[in-house]
Amino acid sequence: MKRHFRELSVTGALLLLLLSLAIFAPNFFEPQPLLSRLTAAAPKLVVACGIALVILCRQIDISVGSLFAVCSVSAGLLAAAKLPLPVAVIASVTLGAVGGALNGALVAGVGLPSIVVTLATMVTWREGLRLTQQGVFVNLPDGVQWFGLPMAAGQGIVCGLALAVLLALAYALRFLSVGRFVYAVGSDAEAARLAGIRPRLVTFGVFVLLGALTGLAAVMNLVQSPQVDPGTGRMLELEAIAAVVVGGVAVSGGRGNVWGVLAGFLLLACITPALTYLDVKPYWDKAIQGAVILLAIVADGVRRRKLNR
Amino acid sequence: MSFRFPKSAVLRHEAILLLVLVLEVVFFRVAGRNFGTVDNVANIVRHSVEIGLLALVMMPVILTGGIDLSVGSLLGLCAVLFGKLWRDAGLPWEVAALTTLGLGALAGGFNAALITGLRLPPLIVTLGTYSLFRGLAEAITHGTDAFTRFPETFLFLGTGRIAGVPTQAWIFVVLAIAVWLLVHRTTFGRSWRAIGFSPEGARYAGLSVGRRLTFAYVLAGLMAGLAAITYTARFGTAKADAGTGYELAAITAVVLGGTSIFGGVGSVHGTLLGVAAIAVLSNGLSRLPATMSNAAELSGLLTGVLLIVALAGGALPGWIAARRGRRNATPSVPATSGV
Amino acid sequence: MFRFLALTLGLGLVMLTGCNKSGPDSAAAPAGGAPAGKRLTVALMPKSKGNAYFVSCKQGAEQAAKDLGVELIFDGPVNPDPAKQNEIIENWITLGVDVIAAACENKDGISTALKKARDKGIKVVTYDSDANPDARDFFVNQATPEDIGNALMDEAARLCGNEGEFAIITASLTAQNMIEWQKFIEARRVAKYPGMKMVALRPCDDLKDKAQSEATTLLSAYPNLKLLMNICSPAVPGAAEAVKQAGKAGKVKVIGLGLPNENRRYVKDGATDTVILWKTVDLGYLTVQSAVALAKGELKAGATSFHSGKLGDFKIAGDNILLGEPFKFTKDNIDQFDF
Repeated sequence: MKRHFRELSVTGALLLLLLSLAIFAPNFFEPQPLLSRLTAAAPKLVVACGIALVILCRQIDISVGSLFAVCSVSAGLLAAAKLPLPVAVIASVTLGAVGGALNGALVAGVGLPSIVVTLATMVTWREGLRLTQQGVFVNLPDGVQWFGLPMAAGQGIVCGLALAVLLALAYALRFLSVGRFVYAVGSDAEAARLAGIRPRLVTFGVFVLLGALTGLAAVMNLVQSPQVDPGTGRMLELEAIAAVVVGGVAVSGGRGNVWGVLAGFLLLACITPALTYLDVKPYWDKAIQGAVILLAIVADGVRRRKLNR
Repeated sequence: MSFRFPKSAVLRHEAILLLVLVLEVVFFRVAGRNFGTVDNVANIVRHSVEIGLLALVMMPVILTGGIDLSVGSLLGLCAVLFGKLWRDAGLPWEVAALTTLGLGALAGGFNAALITGLRLPPLIVTLGTYSLFRGLAEAITHGTDAFTRFPETFLFLGTGRIAGVPTQAWIFVVLAIAVWLLVHRTTFGRSWRAIGFSPEGARYAGLSVGRRLTFAYVLAGLMAGLAAITYTARFGTAKADAGTGYELAAITAVVLGGTSIFGGVGSVHGTLLGVAAIAVLSNGLSRLPATMSNAAELSGLLTGVLLIVALAGGALPGWIAARRGRRNATPSVPATSGV
Repeated sequence: MFRFLALTLGLGLVMLTGCNKSGPDSAAAPAGGAPAGKRLTVALMPKSKGNAYFVSCKQGAEQAAKDLGVELIFDGPVNPDPAKQNEIIENWITLGVDVIAAACENKDGISTALKKARDKGIKVVTYDSDANPDARDFFVNQATPEDIGNALMDEAARLCGNEGEFAIITASLTAQNMIEWQKFIEARRVAKYPGMKMVALRPCDDLKDKAQSEATTLLSAYPNLKLLMNICSPAVPGAAEAVKQAGKAGKVKVIGLGLPNENRRYVKDGATDTVILWKTVDLGYLTVQSAVALAKGELKAGATSFHSGKLGDFKIAGDNILLGEPFKFTKDNIDQFDF
């Protein structure tokens, strides 16, 4: 109980929110919009999981939103050029991995601070895309939306992919040695090195994985409508980071797990629609989002202070 | 030993940055259209003041190993509060402005209380207040209310000139000198540096870490308030979206200026050079025939590239040394510690 | 350290002494016509870069610039920062452009900068969305906020049979032009369609995906909703997709302001009923044509019509050059347009 206080308290807050919705706005639980919302959120969850790995490793990445847009548009253009969908999928994942590798090389190889590296790649990707695409939507051919399957099947695949990523990461972080390496490097890189782990390689790998997951997420998002908006992914990095920290992953590295991330993500993802259902005026959105983030971390801070006394 | 090395590295970094700036100026003077005119130089200065003010106080915050993502949102909130105080509360603008500065400092204090009182990471605290402050600005105005038709005496702050120099540039120069002295010539600056270098070490050395940190964040809030005033005076309108994205521009300038994001290393003049290098680049690009229609995108893109090149250039000697097998005492992978 | 400061100071001096007070080509073309032999420079500003709507305006503008043999600059802010528009305009003033054509994000804010341009003898026209009348010579009027508000509300009422609930999806709460449209939508509703009820307003951050989520939520939170009105272009296809996924195509109507290419699919399969817009390419063409005529002195205050190259004659009402009524794209005509 004590060990998982943060995960449990966030889950508690989520349940409380859902309960009050069940009482005041039962429409929230209508199956169709609920499934649509989950499917729309699934790609963001995949990115958040990748960010969680990077933060566990005591790094950060704020370029994912821009990379997400670059992958989406590239995959979209390939699909629009009538190439088979698997080609677009592979290209998107590869491109994401390459983008992640660039961040990883500069961070782990050259030794630059990740927040600065990804700040630079964030504007570079975003403005590069603006220069080439100029904001024009990419219209996809028929047969791309929902992978050419009926909607329910497509939604199933998208949600299934997110679940698979979540389970795989949960398993790897808990039971595989590479997963434990991530915690080790995040807790103390020098100690990890002395223990025979290669911190640079682990850090590099984590960035590449985040990039690849971003590319995958881009495809999972792409198939949900017949068009790609090149502005997509704006602010995605902040949403993902907020979900990760609310979910109890410590920015000082080495502490947290994906289940907490899932809880934090769902809590934040539910708030905005909940406000619509509860008929709260839209100009409260951002203040409430900010207050929830602060409450989550303050609660944790207060508790730790008590424990330390 | 460990103190001397970064200091010389900083000097080298700033020298390189100065060279970049000189090259930019020379290049744009030769290739750009009407780049060197008095009016254009005044423009560059006038338009960099808000980002410059935020960068000036972001620098000490980063020097302590922290970060403040909320300054852009706080600028928006302060602009709206200023408008409210002046138009709805009927205060004279001078009083409203002073009150706004106080409120800005108070908001900075709120960040500081969470960061020092509860020992929470600045990145996360200010990520929360980034949403909260902008959200409050929208809630107060419902997003739609805009404050305008300010008196001429007030607008003079943002659009007038004193002795040929934009009014707000004078304010900026005075504050730049003050912050420079504070960081480089007082015990405050030295303790910020020490905290950034090693918070535990600073605490054991008897520094009141909490109070020093609080001062840095309060200063950031105060300056966001001031930037809100000059922004409103320059633009003539205060609205909840003022200053969107300014926090990243300020951080970029500080980091480009050679301040280490891990804390402990950096200089105010480096930050000023960083602000200038970005401002000149963005202005100059809008004056080259080849780029004037893509200036907005290219200036963002090239700033990103410049940032990487500047940092990689600085890190290269150490990297080569490490390759040659000389072991460095520093950990092999830098982390976002403190941040 | 001191050597460094001295160096910085020295550079500052070099920059200042090097300033040419007013270069040979720095003065803007005097009113009444450009000097023979020099190509006119037209600076065209969108509300933001990377926006498909303005890219199609640019298409027409480039065509006009080619036809007339003038130089065209197309630049604007990349982020929703209205103050950045002022910065770019002030840069254009010192760059020495002959005429500025701007789509204004914030009416009061931008008017200060535009007035400054006029004081320097630069001709100013506005297009897409107007500034204050004293800040420009002509407004190329594709539709006033009132026309847009009325057209949207009339169409909504027609589709709903004059009664029922509807919701609005906007880009952001702070976008000035959308605030104005909402005002006129509401005024029209009160005056003519009391049976219609506006139940919710949601921002989508100008993102299609977010609009889709917002629309999904609205459809379920307000089960009696009869129509979604989308007043920013990415929201129209986003809302249509949401309606389709909810299986409510045809039952819940979708209308909005948008480009034919982004909406063709949904208009044809019936998810979107009406898309309202004007011929954006023509708007860009007419804007540059009238800007050039103004700079050459061919277009003067008081004129009642204007001949715009291949597009023929346009009426002028007061200082508004009228492009014509807003256009309704429906199933029957959308295939005739490609932008």
